[in-house]
Amino acid sequence: MKALLDFFTSVRVAITLLIILICASIIGTLIPQERSTQEYLVRYGQLSTLLQRLQFTKLYHSFWFVALLALFAMNIIICTLVRLFPKFRRVFKPKVEIESKNILSLKMKAEFKVGLTLAEARNEIKKELSPRRYRLKEAGAEKKHFFTARKRVLGWFGSDVVHLGILVILAGGIASGLAGFRKDLTFVENRTLPIPGAEFSVRLDKFTTEYYPDGTVKDWKSLLTVIEPGKPLLQKTIEVNHPLNHRGYVFYQSGYGWDWKHPSLEIWVKKKQAPAYLKKLSLKVGEKTVLEGESLELDVLQFIPDFVLDEKNQPTTRSLEPNNPAAFVEGWQGEEKIFSGWVFAKFPDFSRVHSAKETDFSLELKDVNAPNYSVVQMAKDPGVSLIWIGCGLLMAGLFLAFYWPTRELKIILEENQGKTEVIAAGIAIKNREAFQTEFENIINSLRKRK
Amino acid sequence: MSESTFFMLAFILYALAAALYFAFLYSKKEGSAKIGFIIALVGLLLHTLALVLRTVESGHAPFTNMYESLSFLAWASILAFILVEGKYKVRGPGAYLLLIVIALMALASSPLMPKEATPLVPALQSYWLWLHVSVTLLGEAFFAIAFITSIMYLAADAKEKKGETPKSGLTAEKLDSISYRTIAIGFPLFTLGGLVFGMVWAYKAWGNYWSWDPKEVWSLITWFVFALYLHTRIVMGWKGRRSAAIAVIGFLAALFTYFGVNYLLAGLHSYA
Repeated sequence: MKALLDFFTSVRVAITLLIILICASIIGTLIPQERSTQEYLVRYGQLSTLLQRLQFTKLYHSFWFVALLALFAMNIIICTLVRLFPKFRRVFKPKVEIESKNILSLKMKAEFKVGLTLAEARNEIKKELSPRRYRLKEAGAEKKHFFTARKRVLGWFGSDVVHLGILVILAGGIASGLAGFRKDLTFVENRTLPIPGAEFSVRLDKFTTEYYPDGTVKDWKSLLTVIEPGKPLLQKTIEVNHPLNHRGYVFYQSGYGWDWKHPSLEIWVKKKQAPAYLKKLSLKVGEKTVLEGESLELDVLQFIPDFVLDEKNQPTTRSLEPNNPAAFVEGWQGEEKIFSGWVFAKFPDFSRVHSAKETDFSLELKDVNAPNYSVVQMAKDPGVSLIWIGCGLLMAGLFLAFYWPTRELKIILEENQGKTEVIAAGIAIKNREAFQTEFENIINSLRKRK
Repeated sequence: MSESTFFMLAFILYALAAALYFAFLYSKKEGSAKIGFIIALVGLLLHTLALVLRTVESGHAPFTNMYESLSFLAWASILAFILVEGKYKVRGPGAYLLLIVIALMALASSPLMPKEATPLVPALQSYWLWLHVSVTLLGEAFFAIAFITSIMYLAADAKEKKGETPKSGLTAEKLDSISYRTIAIGFPLFTLGGLVFGMVWAYKAWGNYWSWDPKEVWSLITWFVFALYLHTRIVMGWKGRRSAAIAVIGFLAALFTYFGVNYLLAGLHSYA
């Protein structure tokens, strides 16, 4: 038990842990995290099994990294507590120094006589230090008087507050990891989705994409309605950086896309022999459309937004962006299929339409459109408030530690033949130079008092 | 006059100030450093104008691509240098800091960095862009000063051990103390801007305050290194060479967080 306590109170152990955490974190940024086994095999070959077994591929959530963080937290708790109790004692039960030699052994010190009685000198010290916001602790003895004066005592606790902040942040991280969850909700307009684990549901009323003049995306906006059992409760437009917060659930605009299963296609039908002939058709996948005035029926069997041939030479889509839209169209006259093949919006001359017999028709895919859907990330994260409290403590602690330096004076007065000898010293862990100036000002001011 | 004119003028003035500071280092005539200081101050004013014009023209904060953020980091470094020199009345570190600033300005104006202001992608349209980036880079500017004073410390310490006086006229002890003081300013700024504001913004924009993204991890690593500096110094009483070495490593980690991560590691922070 003692050995364990020694281990956790050791600053060397804390520093070793810090160095190990630094090294581990670096490794985690060099190895891409949470990819597929195949990708690791390609990247690292034989080594990939070892890396995965050691959990280097999900390092920050690995057993050993979390264990390191736990040890680190333990170390912070114990180191802080061990130092905290003596500090409390020092603050709440201040002691006066009664040995002159202890005061004179300090670096910042002064020794002089003033032509005042002990009572007068005592009064003068109070008059000097009170406006400077020092709090005094006094004790008297025969012909002697002792002072301990200090200000900004909170500064002593700066590092403790920082440590508390870090622990609260870690606790927030644990709460997020255990109880937080996120889910992508995919909405088309007017769709209502129930929120898992909650009593309400959310409907997308309108989704808009705004563009800059140069065509790049400026913003995505989703008008959401929160529906509490039975009735719509509130409506809010969310956009990137402006989520909706309702009953601890936060809704973020996280993405968008097209519903390519339900595209509407504009196809132009032309005749090679009759340049003036043009029919503009609006088609849907799986719907047969009769061309007016002709005995021709068009049937769109398949649509691909980003056409590419895979290694088996089969048509597939490379992405969900409409980079190379293509439609597979069949033309029927009665029971007879007269042509079939792919037409491309970007390459009108490159239609791969095969004709069973000589035909005069040619097709062009002029425009494609699909209902937009909005991807809204739903998050419920009970750790978040702890994180912000921890951040607040962290910053407050740093401020106290660096910019609220505690200052302490120890003074002994000794009356001797109507005069009083003053022995004083200043103690400051940080910001000594500034304190030195104040200390000298105090001493010079006291010397002048008669 | 346009933004790029003011930028170039500032660049020229910084170069001039650097020359004067080096003249001071060799001649020991403080007058030349004093003139250098004033020239750097004028450079800073012109540079500020350039940043303001950039903001007005682009309609957004002047640190959304590498050109802008390099320029801003150079500006913040000059600001930090003027504050530190004004407060501690030390002339030496200015010469080397100005060299770093010149390197940043040269890199910013190199053809490698696209200069045109592009409209903001949705994720960057937030006032947190101002808070997060400016405070973080200001913190890093103070780390840059600590880096320089730490290297100067190492040189001065080596000289003092041989019984010579250091070239800058500053004692090793003084340099060690300035390193600590600049870190005492840089560390809270970096914590606030880099980590706290970063987490708040990540939560607002991405829905998650921490994603173990390489840039996040590297800013944490930087923070750990400076935490190491403070603990070894305050609790274990390390000073001097070992302290200086940690400060140097800390700045290199900050530099990698700022620069290296963008080019070498992929992640969410793909903007700049």
